[in-house]
Amino acid sequence: MLLEGLRFVLSAALSLAGLFVLISGVVGLFRFKYALSRIHAAALFDTLGIVLMLLGVMVATGFEVATLKMLIVICILWMTSPVSSHLIGRMEITINDELEKDMAVLDKRTVRHEKEGD
Amino acid sequence: MAKTRNDYENSWWPRFVRWLKNGSSALDDAMYGDLEEEAVLPDAPAGDAEKREAQWDERRRLLLRDEQDMYSQVHAWSRSKGAKLAQWFYRVTAVVICLGIIWMLLQTAAYLPPFGNPDNPANNEVSRRYIEQGMQETGAVNIVAGMILDYRAFDTLGESNVLFIAACSVLILLRISSEKHGGDAVAQLEAEADDRMYEPKNDLILQRIASFLVPLILLFGVYIIMNGHISPGGGFSGGAVMGAGLILYLNAFGFRKTERFFTFKTFKVVSLCALSFYAVSKAYSFFTGANHLSSFISPGTPGRLFSAGLIPYLNIAVGLVVCCTMYAFYTLFRKGDM
Repeated sequence: MLLEGLRFVLSAALSLAGLFVLISGVVGLFRFKYALSRIHAAALFDTLGIVLMLLGVMVATGFEVATLKMLIVICILWMTSPVSSHLIGRMEITINDELEKDMAVLDKRTVRHEKEGD
Repeated sequence: MAKTRNDYENSWWPRFVRWLKNGSSALDDAMYGDLEEEAVLPDAPAGDAEKREAQWDERRRLLLRDEQDMYSQVHAWSRSKGAKLAQWFYRVTAVVICLGIIWMLLQTAAYLPPFGNPDNPANNEVSRRYIEQGMQETGAVNIVAGMILDYRAFDTLGESNVLFIAACSVLILLRISSEKHGGDAVAQLEAEADDRMYEPKNDLILQRIASFLVPLILLFGVYIIMNGHISPGGGFSGGAVMGAGLILYLNAFGFRKTERFFTFKTFKVVSLCALSFYAVSKAYSFFTGANHLSSFISPGTPGRLFSAGLIPYLNIAVGLVVCCTMYAFYTLFRKGDM
């Protein structure tokens, strides 16, 4: 009984953590303006978020054949999802001619300077 | 002649034109120039060529101006009043059509039988027979495979043909044939290749991942196709998986490597063989009056890999067609050739 309760709490905590990661990633995806910044949000959240969610489900169901299948799903996702984000980022870099302008690194002095200029 | 002309002038269209033009008849206007032409030409002095030229030019200029006036009038109308009218008409029609479709769909939904009712028309003797007798008659554990590849195999043949025809249409529209147009097509192909210069080629990360994943994906596709009559899956889904694997391989390693095993000829031969095998193996039901339930191939033991009569082989044929079509679509849209 205690073990069951512990398992439930653990799986719930893992699922909630995964949900938090996914939601924060989606918020970042919509808040950022430029493609590469969006990738910075999108490429990071899905690996960790999906792994946490699936771990939660695995703990909840206990050890079965389906658990092994979920492990395979995690492996495939960890392999494919970062590679696809990497390709999208590389595509953006090869296509965009005004990369320096879009990705200009602004330190505090230049920002203040621009504000005063306005 | 006069009678005819009066008849014409009193019909509704000339009267409408006359009303538009404040009284003058359209026929009068049309004949005016011709009559005048007839009158002017014989009367003109023989030596006065220059004067005649000047007259003609004047006439032409006047005609041209009239025409211009008419056009500008029409354009002004269509820009101001006509545009408004068309917009109003468009909006009203759109709303009316939308409301009509909504009404129709709601009517249809109101006549639908309640969900889950055992007396629904879907729960008739056909589906009961599929569920109860399907495994004995077809030998397929997967009822869906038994249905689409045995009871309704013609339907599936049509679906595979639809895919094949779609690939053929894309071929006709998009293929840049190098034999047909010679140097022109070669230049075009090179331009396409140039356009792809921006694509990330020979990406090491993608290549490493692809060399690990592509065999797995292809194997999984083969598994889905081969077990189509035992577990969920079948030719369509397995073929789509295999086509996706081929596309991934192409993206990672480029056309040079895929052309070693998959060219236009491969596509032709494989699709043709698969489709004709399917058509021939199902043709006998034409001659038995579509009553082919008593097949001469024994269903075998249900659940074994080589069972269910023709179903595994038909699954393979469908899977090959789907796989080739997926890959052909991708290459044709990307490069214009295979």
